[in-house]
Amino acid sequence: MSVFAEINTTALPIFGVILAVTLGVTYWASKRTTGTTSFWAANRGITGAQNGFAIAGDYMSAASFLGIAGLIFLFGFDGFLYSVGFLVAFLTVLFLLAERMRNAGKFTIADVLSFRLKERPARVAAALGTLAVVGFYLIAQMVGAGVIIQALVGIDFSLAVILTGACMLMYVVFGGMLATTWVQIIKAALLMTGALVMTLFVLERVGWNPVSLFNDAAANHPEKDAYLSPGLNFTNPIDTISLGLALVLGTAGLPHILMRFFTVPDAKAARTSVLWAMGLIGAFYLMTTALGFGARAILGQGGVEAAGKGGNLAAPNLAQELGGGAGTAGGDIFLAFIAAVAFATILAVVAGLVISASGAVAHDVWSNVIRKGRSTDREEVWVGRLAALAIGAVAIAIALIGGAGLNVAFMVGLAFAVAASATFPALLLALTWRRFNTTGAVTGVLFGVVSAIGLIILSPTVWPGPDSEGSPFGLTNPGIISIPLGFIGCWLGTMLSREEVAERTFDELYVRSETGLGAERALPERVRRPVRGAAATAVLPK
Amino acid sequence: MADPTPDYAENAPRRRFEREDQSIDWIAAERSPEFRELIARKRRFVVPATIFFLGWYLGFIALAGYAPDFMGESIYQGFTVGYALALSQFVMTWVLGWMYVRRADDEFDSLAERAAARAIEVGRSGDGQPTAGGTTGPAGTTTTEHEGVTRR
Repeated sequence: MSVFAEINTTALPIFGVILAVTLGVTYWASKRTTGTTSFWAANRGITGAQNGFAIAGDYMSAASFLGIAGLIFLFGFDGFLYSVGFLVAFLTVLFLLAERMRNAGKFTIADVLSFRLKERPARVAAALGTLAVVGFYLIAQMVGAGVIIQALVGIDFSLAVILTGACMLMYVVFGGMLATTWVQIIKAALLMTGALVMTLFVLERVGWNPVSLFNDAAANHPEKDAYLSPGLNFTNPIDTISLGLALVLGTAGLPHILMRFFTVPDAKAARTSVLWAMGLIGAFYLMTTALGFGARAILGQGGVEAAGKGGNLAAPNLAQELGGGAGTAGGDIFLAFIAAVAFATILAVVAGLVISASGAVAHDVWSNVIRKGRSTDREEVWVGRLAALAIGAVAIAIALIGGAGLNVAFMVGLAFAVAASATFPALLLALTWRRFNTTGAVTGVLFGVVSAIGLIILSPTVWPGPDSEGSPFGLTNPGIISIPLGFIGCWLGTMLSREEVAERTFDELYVRSETGLGAERALPERVRRPVRGAAATAVLPK
Repeated sequence: MADPTPDYAENAPRRRFEREDQSIDWIAAERSPEFRELIARKRRFVVPATIFFLGWYLGFIALAGYAPDFMGESIYQGFTVGYALALSQFVMTWVLGWMYVRRADDEFDSLAERAAARAIEVGRSGDGQPTAGGTTGPAGTTTTEHEGVTRR
């Protein structure tokens, strides 16, 4: 068959091993996935260190691994700006949200909002924000998966998208959060190993002297020394600041990252996990510099065309070269290994995205809005599984219809902009501002979502044609406008209405979120079996 | 009225709010000196640290946007000011993160435990009566109102 004409046969066994291990983990997890607490929150039994790896695995997408290495390869310093923003963002998460979310929440970000706000509008608003962020992010990852796997392994784009989607759905539907978590941990370990091995190979080439790596890289770029200073990619300072804002605040609004804090036993484990994640993610982004510069120093300007659009294939091409070059056994094995790492990377991220979206649909919209809390534990899990299937199917369909031409970087940027403008302001204000109310949350989320998406549509990336001149809005990154608009929406809605209950329950949420009083506990091993919701409540001593 | 035992959350009820709403006077808990101290100590770290890291980060981004020539100056054999500042962001993130976690382990956790113990204490001894100075309404009223907004 022509589809399999140029298939990379070395990569297939490594892909097979990854699939076998992750599906084995899923089988193991499915035996332990019974009620809602196991399906959405892995029984809250993940340790701080494990969760740190899982956060890293959830966060570092193929866009980070291949995309940033590629951007650094192409633009030097400007590519590295992304790395800095992606890492510093975890201080926002640690200082403002991680422990509070763990203390006050249950499965989704809507739990925290609806604690003091009117249940149904608050959950609908939070679910809208979640689905907007996750939707863009998920489609971006699916398209990225198709493009990268097609390029690296030789499987057709459509087949690659369907394969990725099928794996993602198996992890989530059968193994829930427990399987998702371990897939993310395995991926983080693989990714760190892959990046470390490549970095060591690169450093060996330059005599273990990082400074000569800088010089070799700059010497191989047509712009020479300008390669080591800003301006090759970002030319508009306001746009750069706008992007920086969206990165540093957006992470704290990403539903799939925040959801990870519900999987640990307590707030202490939540903050420990952020510290682990910072260590791993920081080390990884430092290594992407070595990869990007290494690719520039070793492959040179001649490697630009082979690296493809956005430089995505710079890292795999570098791996092939480090292993001995095209056609050699070492080169083939190294390339296949890096391709497998990229594949595992994508799987872990999309699984995390789908489970957070299914939480928003099943736990928030179905159980608490449509069924008004009368659904049973078992019902909620089944709706969650169906929601995951539906969301996965839609994402696969859009990726297939949109095809390889969809601009991946722009959709990831959009996800961060929506997160920073819609979910982050509403969450932060619900936890810290006494006067905040339901109207404020709804208007804030709407302002954030609409302004971020609207400005992107009017930006040069989209309007009037891809990457064209003459758009009504001059910036590529909407954050600098849409983030303040999100906060203004929250403030305006709050000021236009009065909600005494929200102000009174603030005390409760405040005390709970800061002290951990009455926070959801980890399930002890013996309780980790099906519980019929109503019966469980009835036997509580009154 | 429920008799809150220290392991009240052990049962992890699906409708978790009901029991505690009846036993804890959250307004009094929020005003307790123990809780105020927790918040004050936390703020003393988190507010300056947040201002510092946002300032340092946005300053770096602004320099990258507005002063590319300065960022491109070589410090040591081609290693530029921009890269030194970028690396300083990594160091800042790790150091501030580590400082926060250490402070939380050594200081905030025990304060939070005291504040939580105080909140349970207030709820138990009060049992519908106003306690711990300065509550606007009688705690009994609060309890009824909370029942009115019991959520799922």
